[in-house]
Amino acid sequence: MNLEKIKDSLKKYSSLIFDKENLEIKKIICIFTFIFSSIIAIIGFFSLTNSFYIGDTSLRVILILLAISYIVIIYISIFEIKKRKKIYGILILTIIIFVAAYLLPLLPPNYELRDYEIDATIMKFIINSVFMVIIGVVGASLAMKPLYNYTSKSDEMSAYYVLVVSILLVIYPLIVIVSNIISNGIGGFSWEFLTQDVRKLGTQGGIFPALVGTLLLMIGTALVALPLGLGCAIYLQEYAKKGILTRIISICVDILQGTPSIVHGLFGFAFFVPIFGISVLSGILILGFLTLPIIIRSSEEALRSIPQNIREGAYAVGATKWQAIKTVVLPPAIPGIITGSVLGIGRAAGETAPIMFTAVYFFGAGIPESPFDPIQALPYHLLELTKLIGYKSVEQNAWATALLLLSIVLGMNAIAIIIREKFRVEF
Amino acid sequence: MLLSRNTKEIIIKNIFLVIAATSIFIILFIFYFLFSQGIPAFETLGGKLFSNEWSVAKGEFGLGAAIFGTLIVTGVAMLIAVPLGILSAIFLAELAPRKLRLILKPIIELLAGIPSIVYGFIGAVLLVPYLQPNFGMLSGYSYLAGSLILAIMALPIIISMSDDAIKAVPRNFKEASLAVGATKWQTIKKITLPSAISGISAAVVMGIGRAIGETMAVSLVLGNMMEIPAPPFDLFETTGTTLTALIVNQMGEATDIQTSVLFVAAVILFIVVAILSISSNILRERIEKKFKGA
Repeated sequence: MNLEKIKDSLKKYSSLIFDKENLEIKKIICIFTFIFSSIIAIIGFFSLTNSFYIGDTSLRVILILLAISYIVIIYISIFEIKKRKKIYGILILTIIIFVAAYLLPLLPPNYELRDYEIDATIMKFIINSVFMVIIGVVGASLAMKPLYNYTSKSDEMSAYYVLVVSILLVIYPLIVIVSNIISNGIGGFSWEFLTQDVRKLGTQGGIFPALVGTLLLMIGTALVALPLGLGCAIYLQEYAKKGILTRIISICVDILQGTPSIVHGLFGFAFFVPIFGISVLSGILILGFLTLPIIIRSSEEALRSIPQNIREGAYAVGATKWQAIKTVVLPPAIPGIITGSVLGIGRAAGETAPIMFTAVYFFGAGIPESPFDPIQALPYHLLELTKLIGYKSVEQNAWATALLLLSIVLGMNAIAIIIREKFRVEF
Repeated sequence: MLLSRNTKEIIIKNIFLVIAATSIFIILFIFYFLFSQGIPAFETLGGKLFSNEWSVAKGEFGLGAAIFGTLIVTGVAMLIAVPLGILSAIFLAELAPRKLRLILKPIIELLAGIPSIVYGFIGAVLLVPYLQPNFGMLSGYSYLAGSLILAIMALPIIISMSDDAIKAVPRNFKEASLAVGATKWQTIKKITLPSAISGISAAVVMGIGRAIGETMAVSLVLGNMMEIPAPPFDLFETTGTTLTALIVNQMGEATDIQTSVLFVAAVILFIVVAILSISSNILRERIEKKFKGA
């Protein structure tokens, strides 16, 4: 019996099962396999994140079902395509799934890495869940190929699937963080929480002084950074000619933008604290410097978007450079400048490292009476509460503080986005 | 006193020049103050500053373990964040329909806007208690926890900068490829990504810089002992710290020479991150120049 004969008999056999609707059936099977492996990936992901194991038998059943659907796919597509190479991927995958279906349930319940001097034990469910995620994603991505008849379109679709999975993985932590903070924090929100002082190391009382402190720091930061940042942007964009000085300023702004916040904190500790003490003033100066590059860059962007002919129109009626800037260039650029500033100040409101050695106390600072008094602030409050978790019952207050801080910072972000969209001027 | 139009203009211009120069002064000041505070440590400890021995009682302050910690935590974080970030950026720039993009872009920006202390808090109350039983770890505070948190934090910057780089590739590059019959994915793979590569590397370099300098989140999930785990790639062990976490944890109770050592750590951070930001910007400028004519 030669190969042709086997083929012929197989064809005959397949026409018995699938009849003329072979093509439609193929699509259905491919889509089924695609959905099925996606579901496996999702189950694997959730068993990984929620620490449960679906059990040996169900794992085996799922994997064998998946492998069978791949065998059906291979069986159907083997007559259609000319290049055998193209089904090798699926073939290898099928073999892997079969081997895994046999081996994975046989694993010991945990795998001691301590024998190799590594301080961990890998639990069985972790290996199995990770395998399910990988096989699910690869499988679903490969199931796209027969669906589009192994053309270049099919490569495209399977690549797209991987892209979609990666963006979902990126968004997942955001959802976890935000939903956890909202659901755990909302319970701690009360009138007392917002209006009372910190009592008994944060286990009781509220965050009133810290909230006021954070708002003061935000206002102060704006007062320091906005004039400096806007002035620098106006110079760079309107006055400066391309030269060494502009280049140096620009490099310094870049360095300042990248400088880690803890470095700012130590700088403030060495420079401002000896002069002003641990005080609001030291804090707002540091936060102002930290925010400066963000404001410079966004103001530059806003000024750059004003077309040259608007300036030339002003010069034509006899305006000096400053008059032109003041009357026709700045007004339309203001929404852009405000957007960047709000974003920068929002960023500053959440910073801990720059102020922890220069401006804040955990408790007892109260509402400052002069710029030379110390202050309390929400991010630092959250830091101290986080350190106390496990020793004192501060969870409730910590979650609520996190929620408050997150809403302030994200609120600033939202305001910035709204301003950007609402006042967008097109030239 | 009335000033002539021209004198007034010159004065205003110079006022702006002085304001613009503040960034130069700030950089110089930061460098001067960090360095001058760090000098005593250099003088007394010399080469021992980079050893692995850290003992306050014996007066031994070697930054070796912290430098190693910074490298390994950043490295592992990048192994996770770089592929994920670039793939997501491709999705965002090339694949997402306009409406989806309008939703996703602000979401990525929000992810970047979450304060690092909130990431640290979440890491301490959710991630560490998750890792501890599942990996049978001693406490859950480890390089692994630090790397995971850093990866999440570095993702938004890598995504949004790579997205900008991919978007900056001129349309006619892609259209030429599509015109000769390439599919969209072939175009992305063969034309768009190679053209955007220096922009994407700028994004990665920036992400590394951000990860190295990240402080609060990392300090809350690391074991914070000045020790290199044995074997060094043991991500699960409850030892290890980074330069940033070292500063935050010890600054409060440090005295004279120890404070000075912490300033040396800050100098190292400042210089390394400055070099990274400058090179990232050089890469980005190169791509701008390249596409100017197109």
